[in-house]
Amino acid sequence: MLTIALPTGRVFADAAGIIEAAGLPCRGLSSPGRKLVIEDGDFRYILAKPSDVPLYVSYGTADLAFAGGDVLLESAMPLVELFDTGKGRCRVVVAGPRSLAPRFLGHASELMWLKVATKYPRIADGHFSARGAQVDIIHLHGSIELAPKLGLSDCILDIVQTGGTLKANSLEVLEHVCDISLRLVASRKSTALRWDEVQSVAKKIEEAAEETRP
Amino acid sequence: MNRLPRGCINVGGGLASAMEDCRRIFLSLFEAWGYRPFLPSALQLLESSWERLPPSFRSRLVAVNTPYGEPCCLRGDITLAAVAYLASHYSPEERPLRICYCDRIYMKPRPPKTSIESFQIGAEFLGWEETGGEAEILALLLSVLDSLGLGRTTIVLGDSTFLQRAVASVDTSTAENLAEALRKGALPEYYSLLEDGDIPDFYRRILEEIPRLRGGLSVLGEAEKLWGKGAPLSPLKSMVSTLRGLGYESRVSIDLSLVRDLGYYSGPVFDIYSGESGRSLGGGGRYDRLLSTCGLGGRAVGFALDLEHTASLSRFHATGAPVMAWAGGLETEEALIRAKKITSEGTKIEMSWTVNKAASLDAAEKRGCRAWVDLASGSSHTLSPGKGDRSC
Repeated sequence: MLTIALPTGRVFADAAGIIEAAGLPCRGLSSPGRKLVIEDGDFRYILAKPSDVPLYVSYGTADLAFAGGDVLLESAMPLVELFDTGKGRCRVVVAGPRSLAPRFLGHASELMWLKVATKYPRIADGHFSARGAQVDIIHLHGSIELAPKLGLSDCILDIVQTGGTLKANSLEVLEHVCDISLRLVASRKSTALRWDEVQSVAKKIEEAAEETRP
Repeated sequence: MNRLPRGCINVGGGLASAMEDCRRIFLSLFEAWGYRPFLPSALQLLESSWERLPPSFRSRLVAVNTPYGEPCCLRGDITLAAVAYLASHYSPEERPLRICYCDRIYMKPRPPKTSIESFQIGAEFLGWEETGGEAEILALLLSVLDSLGLGRTTIVLGDSTFLQRAVASVDTSTAENLAEALRKGALPEYYSLLEDGDIPDFYRRILEEIPRLRGGLSVLGEAEKLWGKGAPLSPLKSMVSTLRGLGYESRVSIDLSLVRDLGYYSGPVFDIYSGESGRSLGGGGRYDRLLSTCGLGGRAVGFALDLEHTASLSRFHATGAPVMAWAGGLETEEALIRAKKITSEGTKIEMSWTVNKAASLDAAEKRGCRAWVDLASGSSHTLSPGKGDRSC
């Protein structure tokens, strides 16, 4: 039995679609209802909150998983990233009011003690530390775009797909942090001890992802 | 205020008891094979640790200053302390040195861990010549795991020389980045570095295959075929052959992409996984180069296990809780004589002197005892253990 964790939410349909296209047994996966564990043949699927997926893999509860690059970077869990499916592409950016843009073009000292609201404190810390800037990171769990408008922060670090939400909140991209997408990851133990099974399934998933690559 | 500083742990109850049982068995087995117990200082001079540890590890050290003003770090790795101890306390004629230890280490945690403290049990064999060292230490390790009830553990063997030789013709920065990508398990990043790097075709082909060279013992044959004559696999093959001869074949797996956290390994390396948990119990490997950087000759091999994780999976975690022995209406000396008989059979007991039977049974349950026995009548009740874990 191979266990695959899938993130619920935005990228669930992409992940379930790839599994189906790969020809893996997955009855019930397209319409799981309230089920959180689905079994079909030699496969078990765990439907988990996106931010919990790396934990399931790291602890070996799941052998394989689909996880967004943002979640992987933020969790920093020890696991093996096998490949990029190319689905769910978006960017992690620093965004803020246009008036802030000149500060991002200048010396790192211009960014000192900037207030940055984000759902991703680890990514934010890594990004600004690499620039040599010490900033004040405000950890929020949602509606990040509101923070500058309400005076809670100077700017935000968040994922952006089309930029529509930023525009609606009078924010602009000030700096690109990284590109993210849906990745296939595996537990270190499973890659060490069940490599043949993991590789065979990963190959099918990779081929299916390639065929449906946007 | 009774709380501990953030990231620190007290371990008590059933888990502490299981850890103590594991520690005792581990040290006594290794001592029987000439490994001398070693109790290193909790503080290490920063200058002696810094150069010998990779940047990813250095950034996790907990730096402190002694009252004498010497910059130090809390011990983040016991191997370095062991090598320094060998260099300063043993003349070349007295080597090799075998040591075993059980102690705390301190480091900034990596997710999912949150504690800066952890307990390690380990052994090091330093300054030996010729062959046999790795096989000795691995055979003892497997034997001790069996004694702890961890018979379903698997040793994943790799060899850092395989990767080091394959990147020998690549520029230093790319070579380091490739090794780092493998250590992090970032295969897309690894393949992207390969694509961009200026690498001779022969080595490129090998490097492309390295992440796939995992699995059963047949992987060694595949790797040899890929490399051809002169494949740097002799130490690994010799270890596998010895472990096979000792009957451990089914518990050995190969992973030639294995890169361990500590950068000082220079030969065969290994990770240990139990059947019950997805997290590694620990690992180790050969580190001859670390010895030579300290001006010492010979070979060195060692390993460390996370004691808390090992104990939580060991046979002692379920059975380590004591049996509550109720004296009932017996005279004190008679109760003690009968209780002593139970302990002489290897069972841990906790005396209950109350005259109230119901209160004694209730206390046994609340205290996480696995059974309750009436010393007067000899009757007993089995209870659900496990309530006794008091760690935080």
